[in-house]
Amino acid sequence: MDLAFSGWAGVLILLVYGLIMLGVGLFTYLKNKNIHQSMDEYYLGGRGLGVIVLFFTLFATQYSGNTVVGYPPSAYRQGYEYLVSVPFFIMIIVAYLLFAPRLYSLGKKYQLVTPAEWFEKRYHSKSITILASLLMLYGLGNYLLEQLIAIGQGVSGLTGGTIPYQVGVVFFVIIMLIYGWLGGMRSVAYTDTMQGIALLFGVFMLLIGSIIYFGGLPTSADYMQAYSPEKLGIPDGPSVINWFSLLVLIGIGASVYPHAIQRIFSAESERTLKRSFSRMAWMPFLTAGVVFIIGIIGISAFPQLSTAESEQLVGMMASVVANQNIIFYWSMVLLFGGVIAAIVSTADSVLLTFSSIVSNDLYGNYINPKTSQYKKLLVGKLVGVVAVGILILIAWFPPGTLYQIFVLKFELLIQIAPGLILGLYWKRLHPKAVFTGMLAGTIVASLMTILGPSFLGVASGLWGLLLNVIICLIGSLMMNVSMVQENEANQLIEL
Amino acid sequence: MDKKKEPINNGKLWIGFGILLALITPWYFPESFGEVLVYGIPLWALIIIIGSILLSAFLSYVIKFHWMLEEEKEEAKKKGDN
Repeated sequence: MDLAFSGWAGVLILLVYGLIMLGVGLFTYLKNKNIHQSMDEYYLGGRGLGVIVLFFTLFATQYSGNTVVGYPPSAYRQGYEYLVSVPFFIMIIVAYLLFAPRLYSLGKKYQLVTPAEWFEKRYHSKSITILASLLMLYGLGNYLLEQLIAIGQGVSGLTGGTIPYQVGVVFFVIIMLIYGWLGGMRSVAYTDTMQGIALLFGVFMLLIGSIIYFGGLPTSADYMQAYSPEKLGIPDGPSVINWFSLLVLIGIGASVYPHAIQRIFSAESERTLKRSFSRMAWMPFLTAGVVFIIGIIGISAFPQLSTAESEQLVGMMASVVANQNIIFYWSMVLLFGGVIAAIVSTADSVLLTFSSIVSNDLYGNYINPKTSQYKKLLVGKLVGVVAVGILILIAWFPPGTLYQIFVLKFELLIQIAPGLILGLYWKRLHPKAVFTGMLAGTIVASLMTILGPSFLGVASGLWGLLLNVIICLIGSLMMNVSMVQENEANQLIEL
Repeated sequence: MDKKKEPINNGKLWIGFGILLALITPWYFPESFGEVLVYGIPLWALIIIIGSILLSAFLSYVIKFHWMLEEEKEEAKKKGDN
């Protein structure tokens, strides 16, 4: 991407962001020296995140740099049909209401650290816990890979190639590993707060600049009326189905991301969690809504771009805005630095959850359950570092074949949803049905993603999820759980 | 413990969410709603935006008043600690 403000200013802002992140890590470390003895302290910030920090860390898990850079091009190409991105983010919070209230209560009661631990508690089944853990690790690993690639591209774009892709990745990964290691969830959540504020500020400045220099929505509407009226029109039949499935299915899918679930456990209190969710319910207007408007303004500002060219839309608009005056110039530098910081903040959340599953559920539960929390934590952190190292190698030397196996994320992560959510309420849910459903859903979703195009325009992962749910329901109705198991489950999920 | 409230157990709330979901899906607009523009925004999109605002408002209401599992206990404990 050719940015008018790329070069030394980009290098400077990235150094400043990097130093602030390191500072946050060091500060957290000095203030909380005891956190390396306790998984609660390290992975959940001592279950003490207050409203603001919890809100921003939830915000960082839902909105990444991709929201800012990738959504306007979609709005540019689809027009008002892409307005779905606003209610779509609200639906994620609606989906939380299906399980977060009870999961918070139970998480507190049983001191749960990871989503996989809930599976262990609920089903007492080694096979379910291990399968769920592996699914999460695999999905999170690929998610992390995607973020690492995005960091490299972002850094080389912002600095106009002054800092090459590889150096950018290594620089931010090392910083992320250091502050993550030093402060755990607290570091991650505090840096999320800083990154969130920078990103919000930058996006608003871009919106204001775009309206001033390109004209607002009426200008864009005039253009569309003349040249592409379909971008203003009401979505037709298939588009309405697509719209609806985005709202319902992906809304639920995004709410069960493991790192999102883990934040429920980190809340200081129910009131804190409620307030954070309540704020999140309004954020889509300030984020997805704002970037949607930027994309729409782009339609008249840079008409007739090809699909590939339109991917650079935000960079083009920001370059024009940055050329106007010094305030906008630095705002755009801040914005693009913020985009990279936001990608880092998504990556750090994912990595922390990755390590926690290794510490708590695999190593701590099955390999060496008797060891100290300090040791379990250390193993989780080290495995996290090794995993990042392997992912960096994959990012640099992408394999020629089987590339698809690195794409599987959402498809795998949502397969834990039936066992997680139904298990909270339905005491007769049979462990064998949960395991079979999860496995079958995973296989179907993976094969469909790797082999072929989607069916009926619905994402492959959702077909896997549907099969998964059906097996859970029918299997549990066919196989009866024993009275003892049913009573046990009843006591467990009772509030 | 009879004061506990959990959103999932309250059917009425989900009827509300259902209606709002229908409102924010563009299946019910007459053709003309794509032609009328309000400050450059097509009328149908404006109605979707209003529907989305209603959904956020309803969500805030439900979160505040119909989700009450631990809060009283926690707040009482907090007061006791002070």
